[in-house]
Amino acid sequence: MSQAVVAVNAGVLLPVLAPAIGAAAVLVVDVVAQRLRRTHYLIALVSLVVGAVGTFAGLGMAAGGVRQTLCLPDGGQCMYAADSVASGLQLAALLAAGVTLLLSWPDDKKQSSGNTAVIVSLVLAATAGATAVAGARDLGSWLVALELATLPTVALVALRGARSAISGAIALLTTALVSFGLLALAAALWFTATGSGFLTPAAALAVIDDPTRRPILVLSVALVVAGIGFKLSLVPFHAWTPEAYDGAPLPIAAFLAGVSKIAALGALLIVIRAIAPLGAPALTTIAIVAAASMTLGNIMALRQDSVVRLLAWSTVAQAGWVVMPLAAASSAAVFASGAYLLAYVLATLLAFAVVAALVQTRGAARARDLSGYHGLVHDHPVLAAALGLALLSLAGLPPGVLGLVAKVTALRPVVASELWLLAVVAAVNAVLGVAVYLRWLRVVMATAEPETDKTAPVAALAPSAHPATLVAVGLAALALVVTSINPQLILGLLGS
Amino acid sequence: MVILLAALAIPALTGTALILTGRDSVRASEANANLVSLVASIATAALVVATVVTRPKVDYQWLPSLGVRWQFSVDGISAPLLILTAALGIAVVVHARSYPPHGGSPTTFYGCLQLVELGALATFLSRDAVVFFLSFEIVLIPMWVLISRFGDSHDLPARVDASGRFVLYTVLGSTLMLVGILALVHSSGTANLDALAAARGAGLDRSTQMVIAALLLVGLGIKIPMWPFHTWLPPAHTIAPTAGSVLLAAILLKMGTYGIVRLVIAPLPIGFGALAPVFAAAGVVGILWGGLACLVENDLKRLIAYSSVAHMGFVVLGLSSGTTVGLQAALFANIAHGVVSALLFFLVGGLKERWGSADLATARAALREVSPRLGLALVVGFAASLGLPGLVGFWGEFLAMYSAWSPAADRPEGFMRVLAVLAVTGTAVAAGYSLRVLRLIWSGDRTTPAHVDAHGGEWSVLAVLVAAVLVLGVAPGIVLNTTSKDVSVITSEVSR
Repeated sequence: MSQAVVAVNAGVLLPVLAPAIGAAAVLVVDVVAQRLRRTHYLIALVSLVVGAVGTFAGLGMAAGGVRQTLCLPDGGQCMYAADSVASGLQLAALLAAGVTLLLSWPDDKKQSSGNTAVIVSLVLAATAGATAVAGARDLGSWLVALELATLPTVALVALRGARSAISGAIALLTTALVSFGLLALAAALWFTATGSGFLTPAAALAVIDDPTRRPILVLSVALVVAGIGFKLSLVPFHAWTPEAYDGAPLPIAAFLAGVSKIAALGALLIVIRAIAPLGAPALTTIAIVAAASMTLGNIMALRQDSVVRLLAWSTVAQAGWVVMPLAAASSAAVFASGAYLLAYVLATLLAFAVVAALVQTRGAARARDLSGYHGLVHDHPVLAAALGLALLSLAGLPPGVLGLVAKVTALRPVVASELWLLAVVAAVNAVLGVAVYLRWLRVVMATAEPETDKTAPVAALAPSAHPATLVAVGLAALALVVTSINPQLILGLLGS
Repeated sequence: MVILLAALAIPALTGTALILTGRDSVRASEANANLVSLVASIATAALVVATVVTRPKVDYQWLPSLGVRWQFSVDGISAPLLILTAALGIAVVVHARSYPPHGGSPTTFYGCLQLVELGALATFLSRDAVVFFLSFEIVLIPMWVLISRFGDSHDLPARVDASGRFVLYTVLGSTLMLVGILALVHSSGTANLDALAAARGAGLDRSTQMVIAALLLVGLGIKIPMWPFHTWLPPAHTIAPTAGSVLLAAILLKMGTYGIVRLVIAPLPIGFGALAPVFAAAGVVGILWGGLACLVENDLKRLIAYSSVAHMGFVVLGLSSGTTVGLQAALFANIAHGVVSALLFFLVGGLKERWGSADLATARAALREVSPRLGLALVVGFAASLGLPGLVGFWGEFLAMYSAWSPAADRPEGFMRVLAVLAVTGTAVAAGYSLRVLRLIWSGDRTTPAHVDAHGGEWSVLAVLVAAVLVLGVAPGIVLNTTSKDVSVITSEVSR
């Protein structure tokens, strides 16, 4: 590792470099011109778009295709390698970060909190971590990138300053530290077992037949699952999720539900791909964790009256679906897991965007409480339609065809590996999930109560949602409609 | 080819457009929505008839990553069901002219009817197992909306319960079916239903066939619904608006039995053969259970729902016999139940509007005295329901019992004969409850409280269905000849 890195291909690294440079640029601009809050956001959006364009070359490559750089000399291994699944995750992370920024776009009427530059650069830094971890192939950058994707979110949650935000941030921080400890230990064990600093199948392959080193590697993988489990909100490492979502400002909750999950899955997929030759034993853990997450997440989501907490528990359940295919050791599993995650992120972001729009028009108290959605279809038919599409997509029912196709994709490797028990648990959870989302949808579709004189004047005075929020809703809804008509647009990103 | 796609596109586009039309829009009046739906349904029906006559084939790549293709075509097994669907698609719209929907915007109501029709047509047309599943799911949300929004307005909790049960049971069934489909597709290497049927389970050992068949039978059995999974049906029918009840009983239940023919009997003959006795027994328990419930049930809609459980039991019995006669009987009984249950639900829906409830314990004016048209339709409907020779109900049930008496060689003959005898007992029970209903509401000489007889749209729908009951009863060959060729292809190998 002490040799000089010879090959740095900035083009390949663009998805990582663009948000990182953007984060620095925002801080520099803030020193020069502090009052131009919009400029910060524009710089951030441009850097995200540039990064997204940078992923295009890696999308939909044939199986085995990778774009790599930071290679050791003499044809040595590369520390950065993005295949089409990694590129797809990077694209999703960059776009999801863009939606987050649109949701937190500054409102001219309100006094600046003075944190604009900090928030924007933290979002960009975490996004750079998320895109970096998807391509990281050596232990060092993998760990650092994953923490880069995590730690800024602690600050983002805490910056709101409210008591609930602080407690959410503490929950998140504690989790992040424990998770880092586990992952650092896992990295150490990986190195002990394989003697390699690279997370590659070749490293794992060398250990397979060695009875003394194999258990160490298995332990390392189990620790990775636990450490990533915290970040993906998998049961039993999920407890921070509702606290942090509920305490965080809404756009940051959307960030936690979107970009953070992409980062975590990106990190997990690196390890899963590396241990593919190892086969089943390490993966049984994943099956158990997946089944537990789905079940507990759905049951708890059924009991929530706060929509943000409902979405938090729904994340727990959906995280179970995301990792479920990984219980089957096959290349289809990695693809399925990525595809499910993208479908989940798109639908969840749309749900958060609608909630954010309603916070702006109806006030936080009403928009965060399930009963505040009563008769939404009459008051805001367009927002209600967008929310309905998002919820049905999460539930996996037409017209949310994308969610349904994602469920088909996720179940395929499980069935192919004949994990019948897991498949039946998943089927039962599909039902529980439908119950969760239809419970919300039923409230949205209810006939408006005759609230007599209360609604009319409020409606007259109600501020309209910020245009940036509406753009976010519109873009996410459009993406969901288009990908529901042709889900191949999402599946194709991840390769064929 | 264009014809077939247009037959699907028209209900899809009309349904979506109607739902998206706001209720405040000037054009959203009840009459306009009805007219648009009527035109769309008639156009769809014309295209469906043309499709059935010309038998085009459609094959487009849709999700190359998953190997899913838009494959649609028609054969003798699906043709009668397609015609039934298209005809009832018109009938529910015509009938709704006499009974406008209440509980929500009329555009939503008619839009949901169109989408249910779309889902049913796509299910019967699709030749790709995964597309079959997706089509199966299309009907869920529209039907849920029909029951929860436009159902019986007296009782909100009951609507929530009934619509929730419907959707949750069905999702459980269809997800189990999806697991079965994915297993079938994975193990046989093709998703094409025709190729699956042609392979006849070649290369799948007995235990694999049994596992897959069991998953599919339970999944589809919930949809049929087969005893003991029938408990969602009575509340759904009791609460649903007339159009919803008709579509549910006459078309959606058939998707279950049709799925069993396509996905279980044809591609998994050995697995189905092993499970057939259990399946048949569940069917016969359903016949007796449903019949006995009908003897004491006092809600007329609920009574017809239980009689549906009994009638579908005959279909299950015929399917299980493994002979050409049995399969023919099942397919005919499918159509017969479609016609008869549609007639009865139209009739009872109208009566419920007149009476204010569907309670049999309340004394009413005798239909024979005050409304002879309704009385005639009721007599024909229940006479067909009890299996009177010369009416449509007779052939399917008679042949089903006959086929159970002389089943295929690999079925346990003694056990099947016991089931046949029990099924005969079931027909006696059916006579009992049918005559009970006729005695309670048709005969007698009470003339108060008077109500108007059927006229206009209601009478024309009832008259056409009465005619269909008579014509198909006298000339069952119309359906039997259509199905016979494709049925014998399936059973020639099954009963080898």
